[in-house]
Amino acid sequence: MLTMVARPPEQSTTSPDDVVEIRSVSKRYGRGARVTSVFEDLSLDIRRGSFTTVVGPSGCGKSTLLNLLGGFEAPTEGRIVFEGAEVSAPAPDRLMVFQGAPAALFPWLSAGRNVEFGVSQAHRKWPAAQRKEATRRALTLVGLWEHRGKTPAQLSGGMQQRLQLARALAIDPGVLLMDEPFGALDAQTRETLSAELVRIWQGTQPRKTIVFITHDIDEAIRLGTRVVVMAPEKGIVGDFDAERFGFDDGIEQAGYGELRSTVRELLGRGAL
Amino acid sequence: MTDRRAQTPAATAPERARPAGAWRGRSGHVMAIVGSLVFFVVCWQLASTFLFNEKLLPGPVTIFQTAVPMFVDEGLVDHIMISLDRVVIGFVLGGVVAIVVGLLIGRIRLFDALVGPPLQFLRFLSPTALIPVAIIWFGIAEASKVFLIFWATFLFAVVTIIQGAKTIPQTRLRSAQTIGASSWTALWRVVLPSSVPFIVGGLRTAVAASFMSIIPAELLAAQSGLGYLLSQATITMDTPRVFVILTVFGLLGFLTDWVFRLVTSLALRRYLTT
Repeated sequence: MLTMVARPPEQSTTSPDDVVEIRSVSKRYGRGARVTSVFEDLSLDIRRGSFTTVVGPSGCGKSTLLNLLGGFEAPTEGRIVFEGAEVSAPAPDRLMVFQGAPAALFPWLSAGRNVEFGVSQAHRKWPAAQRKEATRRALTLVGLWEHRGKTPAQLSGGMQQRLQLARALAIDPGVLLMDEPFGALDAQTRETLSAELVRIWQGTQPRKTIVFITHDIDEAIRLGTRVVVMAPEKGIVGDFDAERFGFDDGIEQAGYGELRSTVRELLGRGAL
Repeated sequence: MTDRRAQTPAATAPERARPAGAWRGRSGHVMAIVGSLVFFVVCWQLASTFLFNEKLLPGPVTIFQTAVPMFVDEGLVDHIMISLDRVVIGFVLGGVVAIVVGLLIGRIRLFDALVGPPLQFLRFLSPTALIPVAIIWFGIAEASKVFLIFWATFLFAVVTIIQGAKTIPQTRLRSAQTIGASSWTALWRVVLPSSVPFIVGGLRTAVAASFMSIIPAELLAAQSGLGYLLSQATITMDTPRVFVILTVFGLLGFLTDWVFRLVTSLALRRYLTT
């Protein structure tokens, strides 16, 4: 369960075991002569409680990788293991937060009902009181409790994305898969929501495991405790520890610029 | 049915674009409708008086004079109610089946493969073409008329509803999957509400189709209803009566369509905004 007590980042203790293991996964589309490969023989372990950002230009396969983790697509070769079991279908324990909030939400339900519906589907055995409590806490955490009676269309783009985040937090999944969640928002809102996401994540006890996809190098370094770099047709080309960069003063810290240029170089000047 | 762009329901577009509850600013629109109707009636009267034979094309005045005794003495209202009754029963049955079948075809590939091709074939059998079958199967009682209305409603509505179910954003469906909704729950609690704009659009076309089918259904084998009256008037070559029935029929359809739009836009408002 979520706790609202914020802990300073240096206290974070990630247990050594891995939540997700990606083992020699290849993904190709099409058949015969028309086959196109997204990536080949890709392996990656996601540590429990880590905030892993995957950065790369469009076409590098980062979204495909996330869809494989989510169980929306199956790997052509290799296997993906989540908590000891092979991933074969979508499940609320590997919850996806989508980029397009209007399509991801249910526009005919109020904000509160959107979250509650999610909880009721993910945790069918929970008694009503527990569902309501999870809904209330999640909506309060993202600052939407006062707006719970509004429909998504009555909320701004940033608030809609917050609502989707609230639904995810209320469900409290084993791993949170975020597919460029702030990609469709304006720079200001994006900044606010990024800071809020880090604050919420730091408040989770134990730390929630997050895999966050982005094409923005700064976003990747500032948000993530680990930055995985992907390039088109090459798969993973870099894997960096970014734990030392706090969100608020990340870019002013020593080593930030260095990491940034390294990532940039890996992706090639023309790529971004 | 396969071309998505061509099948976008034009009927639902205005409902979506117009903000809910925007009735107040529409007085200009109402004036335009009234003006256009008055213009039509005047032209009609002039045409029947000066251009054509009054016997072949009776004017609005003659029609009105013929209509009054039909309403007062001959129980025209009873016939209207009988016809409307058949339309409503057939429409509701056809609509419900169209929604269920449409969503299943649109979202379940196996169901599409099984039911889709026969449906493509059946689409071309108009209600009129099915009159002989309806009479053989259901006799000349109520059931055969209701069956024809059902048929028309189903065929016209189902195509748009299938399209609606097929064009739901992938993210919406994946959203339902990721929160752990079962396929069944996703179908009724996500696909169905997401398809409402298409369902309403499809059913609105079906309202017109069901009205168009009641006349042929009642022409051949009925002892009551507007179609029956029409066939009687044809036998006696009573042109004014024919035109009264056609006018009543047009007005009924117009009113029903208006009521349908009003009720759906009010009752289903939260499903029509995206």
